[in-house]
Amino acid sequence: MSARVTVLFDPRGAHIPPDGDAAAGRESATVEELVSALRHAQEPLRGVPLDDLLGLLDAAAQEWIRPGHPVAAVIAEIGAGFLPLWLRRANLERVCDAALRGNRAAADGFVPISPGSPRLHRAQPRGLLVHWVAGNVPVLGMISVVQGLLSKNANLIKVSHQQGGVFPFFLEALSRVQYLRSDGATIQGSILTDAVRAVYASREDAAAARALSLAADVRIAWGGREAVESIMNLPRRFGTEDIVFGPKTSLAVIGAESLGEEAAARRVARRAAQDAAALDQRGCNSPHTLFVERGGAVPPARFAALLSEELAALSQRLPPPALNVPEAYRILGWRAEYDMRGEAWYGEGVTWSVFYAEDDHGLAAPCYGRTLFVRPVDDVFQVPLLCSIHTQTAGVAVGERRLALAEALTARGIERCTEIGAMSVYDNPWDGMYPIDRMVRWVGA
Amino acid sequence: MSAIDELLKIPPYRTSPGQHDELFRRAVSESIRHHCAGCPPFARWYRRQGADPQAPVEDLARLPFLPVTAFKRMRLESVESGAVVRLLKSSATSLQTPSSVALDAITRDRQMRALAILMCDLIGTRRRPFIVLDAPPQGNAAGSDVELSARAAGMRGYLMMATETHYVMQPGRDGPVLDIPRLREVLRELVTRQVPVCLLAYTYMLFRHAVEPLERERLRFELPAGSFVLHFGGWKRLEAQAVSRDRFNAGVARVFTMNGAPQATIHGAMQGTTHAPPIRDIYGFTEQLGVIYPDDGFGVRLTPVYSEVIVRDPFTLRPLEPRGCAPGAPGLLQFITPLPHSYPGVSLLLDDVGRIISRDVGTRFEVQGRARGAEIRGCGDTLPERVYEVRS
Repeated sequence: MSARVTVLFDPRGAHIPPDGDAAAGRESATVEELVSALRHAQEPLRGVPLDDLLGLLDAAAQEWIRPGHPVAAVIAEIGAGFLPLWLRRANLERVCDAALRGNRAAADGFVPISPGSPRLHRAQPRGLLVHWVAGNVPVLGMISVVQGLLSKNANLIKVSHQQGGVFPFFLEALSRVQYLRSDGATIQGSILTDAVRAVYASREDAAAARALSLAADVRIAWGGREAVESIMNLPRRFGTEDIVFGPKTSLAVIGAESLGEEAAARRVARRAAQDAAALDQRGCNSPHTLFVERGGAVPPARFAALLSEELAALSQRLPPPALNVPEAYRILGWRAEYDMRGEAWYGEGVTWSVFYAEDDHGLAAPCYGRTLFVRPVDDVFQVPLLCSIHTQTAGVAVGERRLALAEALTARGIERCTEIGAMSVYDNPWDGMYPIDRMVRWVGA
Repeated sequence: MSAIDELLKIPPYRTSPGQHDELFRRAVSESIRHHCAGCPPFARWYRRQGADPQAPVEDLARLPFLPVTAFKRMRLESVESGAVVRLLKSSATSLQTPSSVALDAITRDRQMRALAILMCDLIGTRRRPFIVLDAPPQGNAAGSDVELSARAAGMRGYLMMATETHYVMQPGRDGPVLDIPRLREVLRELVTRQVPVCLLAYTYMLFRHAVEPLERERLRFELPAGSFVLHFGGWKRLEAQAVSRDRFNAGVARVFTMNGAPQATIHGAMQGTTHAPPIRDIYGFTEQLGVIYPDDGFGVRLTPVYSEVIVRDPFTLRPLEPRGCAPGAPGLLQFITPLPHSYPGVSLLLDDVGRIISRDVGTRFEVQGRARGAEIRGCGDTLPERVYEVRS
């Protein structure tokens, strides 16, 4: 346990700027030291009523949407506009209730197993959660940490080299938040963030990876296939729980009833464009393929054209972040192919692309860079046949067939069916679970 | 006579700024018209770039560029399939599928002529013995009569300059193995005859299967006076081992002693300076076979009259030109040549990154290697094979 890691956030604050290089951090500590400090910091957190924690996060949400607030600027920059909404009290109360058997008071003490039951249960924190956060979507990692804190666990976050400064930035901002309780008491954000450390270790540092894994009571992995597999292959203590988010791909299904007139089709296209721009298609909940049913007044090819107009307009307002060169080149290849055998719409430079061909079928491999493949289907119920455990979210616009389609999609592996436009909104259940439920031990009395 | 044929009749390198530029643009226009007439998908693509196939090409920087992966994705041909005499298969690098390029007799003839002219400029008109650091081709290893791997095709092109060919490697379980007794025997005989030779090899194989083992064994071989080394095939695998050009050249010079200044051995436009080693790295690619870009010993290359290169910003796609004496910024390389007749390889964008050094007399440029980027692997990163086929 003497492996050293670079400390990017601790109770003294963030040690790198939001756009800083995680590998350049100068503070370091052994994993053993960090674990010891975190287990100590967890004790005061255990004693704080859940309501106070919700109040703090709600205060953060309100503060972070104020124009000119530095956090608001970063949220806009990384396309994480849903985060403040997700942090609002009403939402988090629902999240906690759903995960804690309908009664969030179970996080604070024993409550009846069911109304009127003499049997009591409560949710005890599991202890130390170690989060491995994907570099491309640090904000999703923020969501697992917040749930770790609401379940009153200590949290050790191993950030990725990429965007390694984002997480410490958010944590420092959270530590400064104050919540004024109705009885006049002020609750400091540091009660939450004292139980958090953000660290970095090189991918090649096997000793650090092993130490982090062995320290965990719960291992939480976000990321691509290689990253998640390598984390899951690390040694762990007996009884350690694993929560894996990803890797998966997502899609959208648009029924003929949503294509009855051009204005309605355009509204759906606008929302689909927003889904693609949020997280810039890096998330497992980001759409890459849009299945459009034939038979509506607006045919699939026309829908693709409308989508291209909406994506162009959105990319004007919200320019995409830079891709890497191989990704940009891959997109150029798709553009050439569809210019030759189908239809391609794209902006100047590699900013967004929409592709369509009458004979395309199946799911497209994620291409990123706001690249959407529109594929015609005769019947939206053909889409479930393409789904598997590797597909996560389906944004649907199918009118009254929504529940029937959701049945079929989820039976084949889809884990969330949302309205188009809400695909990027983190909600519960997620990846087939209520995460807080997996972060606690249910104990009886 | 067509402008393309005219090009193949003039000296391969310019001697004054702008020389032959008008002829080159005419040849490119001719090529565009031909491919648009013969390859409907290409014509469709070309028009969708806002270009008119019938309009003469005035500004090469505005010529649409086809990503070379198009040849991996689709079979693009500008002649009837009966006219195809060879199908070249490139290595599968950027995508999992190899590139497929159909050659007709016209393309093959143009490529061979261009290659012969450029090789003569490089090594002189006198043919000489070639020592090939590879195993001799066996059976179908080089491909069938019609189908040919780009590797075999590349090697075959250079060997037309050989008076005799000596393969000095044997196939081994983990790749070719240097046959040291055979190399020693071949060189002893050539040194005795005082015949300068060309040592020819794939860049990676030369280093990995010859230089490194010989260095380990502390062996060195003297090449006949006036000999030189040509290598080709790219640096991708050596980059992965962090082998620099300096390390490469030093290693080659350590195990193969070459007497004679480069001027005595390397001819023509790519002689380089008196300090340049007699080791030349040749850049080229399957989709524009025949046009080769030997370096000057230090990685700088020069476009012949058959081609032009433009460097594009990978994100804005705008050209990146030198400013004054300063080289241009690095970007994706676009190569333009009117030589391909059977497939629309006239203006191709590669996923290799390079930069323009100058455009004084011809274009001097560097190739910096395959485009790389930070691996962005998010929770949306599923295995390609797990997201099913892309089209019917």
